[in-house]
Amino acid sequence: KFLDGQTAPDKPEIIKCRSPEKETFSCWWKPGSDGGLPTNYTLLYSTEKHPEIMECPDYKTSGPNSCYFDKKHTSLWTIYTIVVNATNEKGSNASNPKFVDVTYIIEPYPPTNVSLTVEKTHLLVKWLPPSMADIKYGWLTLVYELRLKAEKAQEWVTHSAGQQTQFNVLSLHPGETYVVQVRCKPDHGFWSQWSPETYIQIPNTFQERD
Amino acid sequence: LPICPNGSVNCQISTGDLFDRAVKLSHYIHSLSSEIFNEFDERYAQDRGFITKSINACHTSSLNTPEDKAQAQQIQHEELLNLVLRVLRSWNDPLVHLVSEVQGIKEAPDTILWKAVEIEEQTKRLLEGMEKIVKRVQPGDLGNEVYSLWPGPQDVQVADEDSRLFAFYNLLHCLRRDSHKIDNYLKLLKCRLIHDSSC
Repeated sequence: KFLDGQTAPDKPEIIKCRSPEKETFSCWWKPGSDGGLPTNYTLLYSTEKHPEIMECPDYKTSGPNSCYFDKKHTSLWTIYTIVVNATNEKGSNASNPKFVDVTYIIEPYPPTNVSLTVEKTHLLVKWLPPSMADIKYGWLTLVYELRLKAEKAQEWVTHSAGQQTQFNVLSLHPGETYVVQVRCKPDHGFWSQWSPETYIQIPNTFQERD
Repeated sequence: LPICPNGSVNCQISTGDLFDRAVKLSHYIHSLSSEIFNEFDERYAQDRGFITKSINACHTSSLNTPEDKAQAQQIQHEELLNLVLRVLRSWNDPLVHLVSEVQGIKEAPDTILWKAVEIEEQTKRLLEGMEKIVKRVQPGDLGNEVYSLWPGPQDVQVADEDSRLFAFYNLLHCLRRDSHKIDNYLKLLKCRLIHDSSC
């Protein structure tokens, strides 16, 4: 400790790296104490095919304390070795290295445009894949899950929809209001968050079917 | 891979069905490969720093495979199909040794052994299926060259425990990686060839 109470910054910690669509990815870090001085953070990385040390290409796109790797800087099936350095007047401190293969950090955004249509005997739930996910080409394969419950109920009922982007829900009660959410997951990866809640009231004319 | 209904003689499985079965199999093989890697990593590799030693250590690293969507879009499907075949063939020998060696791991749970055996069997089936698909898609020569980039078993039969465990870790790390590549490329090829890039 220096007499003026100012010190070198503490070691930052890389807390998470995620790719939303298998084409780009971001990492976030948690700064330690800044030692009472203005502190600068730099993220340095290397990959299996490019062992030379490179600096984060974009510190802005993914928000504070983050690095965004665009398509040009993102490769699958290769290990990124990532370190964050904290530096101020009194010195610097590096995080532990984080080893990342983008292949295994895919967490998509939730599905969009969830629409509910009451048909004669069932509720038709339709949605679109997350906007940035290129499903058509087959580079990314998503599977979906939806859940619904009566508005006042506690328990959700969950259905797997596979790769479909619509689902028919049976056994609903006329006059009841239901809330529906949808989420998605890559064939190998993490579940997205649930989509915002969508509500629908089932008309009294609805023909109940089990 | 494609099994014809009983009694049928000239049963012609469509190329779409062949791809469906191949993709189901490749997905299953990768899921098993992930499970066996994670199980081994949790049980034997914690705090040993194996990941830093496994950088650039896969026997298939020299194969020039696409590593992002742009590269995949530029490659012809014939070339991508042949790459899948080459990666699959390069795993014949290592999987045979994995199955025989896994039994020698200290207190290895049955699940690790069972998965190793299952992966070896299903990879053979996938290779058969892929050879049928390649014959369909490009009737020319299958390019059946004998293929093993793998340096051989000596890496796995070393004396000291740490090196032996690292040899396993690296094999399973590369298996997880390559099985994901195969699964990814097959899903992409299926979309391109069967669904005209409109999955």
